[in-house]
Amino acid sequence: MAENETMPYSDDMEIEVPSDAGSTVKRLWKSMGRQRIRLIVVSVSVVFYTILSVAAPVYSAKIVDMLFQEIRAAVSGESVFRVTWDPVGREIMLLLLIYTVTGILYTFQSFLMASFAEKLSLELRTKISRKLDRLPLSFFDSHKPGEVLSRATNDLDKMSEVMQTGLLKLFTAVGMVAGSVIMMFRFHIGLTLVFLVFTVLSMVSTRFFAGRTLRYAARRQQAVSRVTGQVEESYSGRAVIRAFNREDRSARDMREAVEELAETSRKADFMMNAVNPFIRLVNRLGQAAIAVFAGKLLIDGVLSVGVFQAFFQYVYQASEPLTEAAYMINSLQSSIASVERIFQLLDEEEIRPDPRQTAETHGEIPIAKSRSKGDAAEGRVEFSHVRFGYSADKPLMKDICFTAHPGQKIAIVGSTGAGKTTLINLLMRFYEINSGRILLDGRNTADMSYGELRRNFGMVLQDTWLFDGTIAENIAYGKPGASRSEIIEAAKAARADFFIRTLPQGYDTRLNSDAENISAGQRQLLTIARVMLCDPAVLILDEATSSVDTRTEMEIGKAMNELMKGRTSFVIAHRLSTIVDADLILVMQNGDIIEKGDHKGLLRAGGAYAELYNSQYA
Amino acid sequence: MKTVFQFLKPYRRLCVFTILAMLLDVAGGLLVPRLTADMINIGVKTGNMEYIIEKGIAMLAVTILAGAGALIGSWLCADLSAKLGRDMRNAVYEKSLTFSEHDFSRFGTGSMITRTLNDINIIQQSVVWCIQMVLPVPAVCVMGVAMAFAVDTMMGFLLIGVTVLIIVLALVVTRRASQIFGRLQQLLDRMNVVLRENLTGVRVIRAFRKEKDEEKRMRKSFEDYAETSISANLLFAGLESTAFFVINICIVAILWLGGDRIGAGYMEIGDITALTEYSILILFYIIMAQMVIILLPRARVCIRRIQEVLETEPEICDRMKSAGEISPSAYAEDIVVKFDHVSFRFPDADEYALSDLDFICRRGETTAVIGGTGCGKSTLARLILRFYDVTDGEVAVNGMDVRDMTQNELRSQISYVPQKAWLFSGTIADNLRYGNEEASEEEMRRILSVAQADFVSGLANGLDAHVAQGGTNYSGGQKQRLSIARALMKKADLYIFDDSFSALDFKTDAALRKALKQEISDAAVLIIAQRINTILNADQIIVLDEGRIAGIGKHEELMEKCSIYREIAKSQMKGGV
Repeated sequence: MAENETMPYSDDMEIEVPSDAGSTVKRLWKSMGRQRIRLIVVSVSVVFYTILSVAAPVYSAKIVDMLFQEIRAAVSGESVFRVTWDPVGREIMLLLLIYTVTGILYTFQSFLMASFAEKLSLELRTKISRKLDRLPLSFFDSHKPGEVLSRATNDLDKMSEVMQTGLLKLFTAVGMVAGSVIMMFRFHIGLTLVFLVFTVLSMVSTRFFAGRTLRYAARRQQAVSRVTGQVEESYSGRAVIRAFNREDRSARDMREAVEELAETSRKADFMMNAVNPFIRLVNRLGQAAIAVFAGKLLIDGVLSVGVFQAFFQYVYQASEPLTEAAYMINSLQSSIASVERIFQLLDEEEIRPDPRQTAETHGEIPIAKSRSKGDAAEGRVEFSHVRFGYSADKPLMKDICFTAHPGQKIAIVGSTGAGKTTLINLLMRFYEINSGRILLDGRNTADMSYGELRRNFGMVLQDTWLFDGTIAENIAYGKPGASRSEIIEAAKAARADFFIRTLPQGYDTRLNSDAENISAGQRQLLTIARVMLCDPAVLILDEATSSVDTRTEMEIGKAMNELMKGRTSFVIAHRLSTIVDADLILVMQNGDIIEKGDHKGLLRAGGAYAELYNSQYA
Repeated sequence: MKTVFQFLKPYRRLCVFTILAMLLDVAGGLLVPRLTADMINIGVKTGNMEYIIEKGIAMLAVTILAGAGALIGSWLCADLSAKLGRDMRNAVYEKSLTFSEHDFSRFGTGSMITRTLNDINIIQQSVVWCIQMVLPVPAVCVMGVAMAFAVDTMMGFLLIGVTVLIIVLALVVTRRASQIFGRLQQLLDRMNVVLRENLTGVRVIRAFRKEKDEEKRMRKSFEDYAETSISANLLFAGLESTAFFVINICIVAILWLGGDRIGAGYMEIGDITALTEYSILILFYIIMAQMVIILLPRARVCIRRIQEVLETEPEICDRMKSAGEISPSAYAEDIVVKFDHVSFRFPDADEYALSDLDFICRRGETTAVIGGTGCGKSTLARLILRFYDVTDGEVAVNGMDVRDMTQNELRSQISYVPQKAWLFSGTIADNLRYGNEEASEEEMRRILSVAQADFVSGLANGLDAHVAQGGTNYSGGQKQRLSIARALMKKADLYIFDDSFSALDFKTDAALRKALKQEISDAAVLIIAQRINTILNADQIIVLDEGRIAGIGKHEELMEKCSIYREIAKSQMKGGV
């Protein structure tokens, strides 16, 4: 319940409708596994619990009537009445027994349910995490991280919450309302009808409020977006605001947006706050009417004192859950919609499983070891008539052919969208080619396991992904057993050692995702160190040095040149200065290689490369 | 806590009225069963229908009064929450405007956004909950018990007993629950972080073949979360079960003991209903309050975070000196900026970021600064703008120490193009007006063409073309040109271009510099750059290396005598034909 409150402005009121509730529920039921038994046991317990809860007021009515008669008798007999075992005490003890059993059942079922929903979420969450490993890269490229994240957190939490309390409540509510109304009818039909009239009234007003609330909440949502935008941009652009002396103006704009938020929030909050009091008001009016009516019946002798009291207990028992029912059905619906989305994610198409899914669990063999054994790749990469398109009918690359000999430096140039990154994606088998072959040391990469293939590559990507851990852990990411001196060695080679030492905790400084405690250039250096440590046969540098200035770039370049000795390397860079010494330059355009050759040759040819080069160094 | 009270202070009366309205609701809740009991008592005793109707009307009146109280209370609560949120947001934002760059970076942009939005939300909500659900509790307990005493002393004591029992129970649970909930929040954050890393880093993870390890890492975070969630659920299941059981025992006790008391003539049969209702109401309120109290530690964290912002003393303040006190030291008219042995160290660093800078920028001349990342180029610009204060030495603008004028005065003499070309949402014209509120359209067009941003006239709406937040709907080069245009709109004695040409291709860069030369003839220009081409023709080039001046002079001079400059030049001209 707490999770729900963490986002006060999230529109939970929006009622989502699942597209196929039936099959989703069926599938959810299947994924419960052994927990199904638990759910059945709980259901049985709920049945008994409801029966006993409905029965309890009947007993208390009986006791009150009995007390009343006994006391009357005692008063007319001029004696003082005392509660004794026979006959009233026994009945009271019976009531206590009923209460006790009810209590035990309640405890029993809530304890059983306490872990039910969480275990189910855990199960589904684990499935999602396994799924993430098997999803093709195209999935990640076409879905925002937040979207997927929200499946694994919000959607599952929503489901878990409904399963945890909602389901149990819904079960008991249905039984309770039905049982209470039946009992009420048995006591007095007219009185019950009065109750039902007011119940309908309170349900109608709930509806009314719900509609209004939705409208006001939407308005507030707009105001929230406006303030959010204002805040984000004012903080991000504060240097400009201050440099242009716009503080007052900016504060005024902010005040306006905040005032609007306050206005709309006031109304939206009021609608939300007021629902319950209003319903309570309607219910109490009903209770007053019932009381007067019942009072008359009491005088007429139609109702006994005990029944009068019991009737009120039923009124409470029935009206509470009824007003809650609408809300619960909504949340049940939206939780099924959530589960549906989770299943959708789990049903996404997967990558081809490894051709050799043998005992060799990939990722656990240190590269260094495998290299030193001499079975490591030499680093000969060959693209042979490769054809590829993100969708099969729209080919991007039609016929890519080139060979990178061991130890060569291959530079890929071209404008954005020319297919430079795609080439790397294919090489790493992040995407599968449509036809043709990519060979590593003469072996078709499609026949290798992912682990076997990728072990030979080291990548430094444009976005500098680091994880929430210490700097040392991040550098050792590709080689978990690395010693501290190896890590420092790699950091030194990547020119990162110096800045790491200036950090308060040095190599043990924790990098967290939101506190931007190191700069973009420094993050880049760390990713370079990470690859340095792995010592792979083939290097891929994807615009790796773009956020590092030229001098630092040159220093890294020196280290890289050292590292590139005896290794094949693919370099993508916008700055031509880094690639003039490449053995082979591939100039790409619209997915295809339009020119091939070395720097001097290409310049002499006077084609696209020469033009590009001259525009940069004119 | 103190902070919240400070913000509530202006609304003291509003608070009091809210609480009174809430109490009206509570009193109604307790009076209705009382009236019902009276009905029963009278009904069975006299059989007088008039009496019953009388009580019925009283009940109606109480119900409506209580309902009105609750509704008014809801409105007042919403009002209070809205005002509290508004005041806190404004206070935080206005405070942030007084922060120096260093003050601000201690919090970070992301954190400041969270503080201004989410944290204040949580505080608002917690305050409302407290007023609605925690504050009425003592009143409910006292009134409930008092009304039980009005029925019968013995029953009064019984209710005291039950109330104390439930409170003790709630306290015990609250203490455990706060710990569990705190941990739960951490684990939830952790789960989010790990998942996000897996989503954004999928290429790296697969390249390093770490899928299995990542799966383990995710699973661990899921398990920890599930485990803690379950223990929280169990705790609540325990609390609920026990509380209901206590109430049931209480009802039984009311029946048994009440029977005796009725027999002895101390109370009447209808009072049993009233007493039962009192105890249920007390239980209900205490449990609800307990739920709220569990969530309060989270609010306390948020309050502390807001407090941190509000209590931060801005590092840089305008010195309160009257103009007469400071006489500009004698200086040559054409010196706009003077660095006099300036050293600068970030407050939390041991090493100097800039040491012993000594140079002059003259009117009509271009000064360029070049050097590697982290050599302190941008910091130098920020010292002139007084985003930071020097550690030693003095920066003077137009002959006056920047610390001796107001920040407003200082910045009105300078126009600045930041390294990150940040545009504000709105239109292009809105952005240009940052530099000059009254600028005419012609002026804007002229400046746009100086800034090589003629592409604007090709846009569908021209000057009124939409700009998305941060300017994301324009390319890096377009953003830079627009941000240059914004700066040129402002008439200033000094123009600072902080690495503002990096996203421009060489042709545009050259054309822009040429146009600039003509546009700005009577002001000083300071260009911070990484590309040699950009600064070749500067009147004065300052080469920075690790915070020190490694060379100063014209291109040719530096090529001759400054090795670091040569190295930079070589790295950029390598392979040139």
